[in-house]
Amino acid sequence: MPTSILGPYFRTIVTVAVIAAALVFSFTYARDGVYVEIQPLFEWMETTWFGYVGKTWGAAFATIQAGHLIGLAVLGGCVLVSDGRLLGIVLTDVPHRIVVDRADAVFFWALATLLLTGVFMACGVAMKIYYLPVYWYKMLGLACGILFHYYVRRPLVAHELGSINPIVLKMTAIASILVWFLVAATGRWIGFSG
Amino acid sequence: MSELIYNFAVWVDDTSWSTMLHESYYMYNWVESTHVLTLMISLGMLFLIDLRMLGWAFPDVPASKIADRLNIPMMVGFTVMFITGILLFYAVPVRSVQSIWFRIKMVLLVGCAINAYLFHKRMNESVSSWDNDAKAPQRIRNGAMLSLGFWTVVVICGRFIAYDWFDCGYPQPAFIEFVAGCVDGQTRF
Repeated sequence: MPTSILGPYFRTIVTVAVIAAALVFSFTYARDGVYVEIQPLFEWMETTWFGYVGKTWGAAFATIQAGHLIGLAVLGGCVLVSDGRLLGIVLTDVPHRIVVDRADAVFFWALATLLLTGVFMACGVAMKIYYLPVYWYKMLGLACGILFHYYVRRPLVAHELGSINPIVLKMTAIASILVWFLVAATGRWIGFSG
Repeated sequence: MSELIYNFAVWVDDTSWSTMLHESYYMYNWVESTHVLTLMISLGMLFLIDLRMLGWAFPDVPASKIADRLNIPMMVGFTVMFITGILLFYAVPVRSVQSIWFRIKMVLLVGCAINAYLFHKRMNESVSSWDNDAKAPQRIRNGAMLSLGFWTVVVICGRFIAYDWFDCGYPQPAFIEFVAGCVDGQTRF
């Protein structure tokens, strides 16, 4: 059984390997074959109802963008509160467990809002973002963020926090803040590109 | 009044630093990005406080603790947003001051400030009696809902400022021209 070979870190190691493979795939010629293959998907996205509304009704597109920003604000708030608690910066007089678990519940809905509004926005400008490298950086960052959150951070903090090496806990919190900041920053960068 | 505001904006626009900031691709984008990304600290904390009052987040953490502890990072975030917001206005003063979305946003920000003041006043007066309840009393919940609503519209207006639908440079209905403060014969947009 791989679990017994790799010990309690099996899921973390697999997740990190997947993220590393995604990075290698994204920054080498390996991606070129897939990149061309998925162009029809982006062309199709523009023909959907979302794509039609996004392209022809500017106010709807801008309102969904605002919803995306609000989702980002709430997600950022959850990450900063939860990871800030692990770093011993905020809500230090509330138990770790409560802060992390309660923030995670809100985080899920914020992430769902971001994904839903993000899909709508992507449909409206599908061919534009298809040719934007920064869009792909954001998607890569987002995939890493989701994988990291659900397959590394969450299982780690599910343990009794007192039994985890504080340095590991703090490094996880810093990595979490950085990965979500990267997602937000590359998202903003899309606005300046193309 | 519209002419006075317009003349003030033109005066600001004529300052060399305003031009430099507007025409500096990287600096302007850095300021704008900072303004947007700081949402995660300011509105992120604010929304969590409001959601706590509504019983939708952190229901088993005392309301006063959430409000008190998240207040500092929230205020740091709002300070950064305020400074970067002033800089964004300074870089594009004429168009900003004649944008109906900018005007609505400013009015709503005043509304947000008044609501925040009343919210904290009411909360501090009564929090000891419901601090550990999952939901705050109706009066406080109304304030939290109002806060969420106001700030949502503020973000929408902020996003709409980027669009030129009601800019003075285009033919507009008289009502829009009045609300936007368009000035007859203005040469700067």
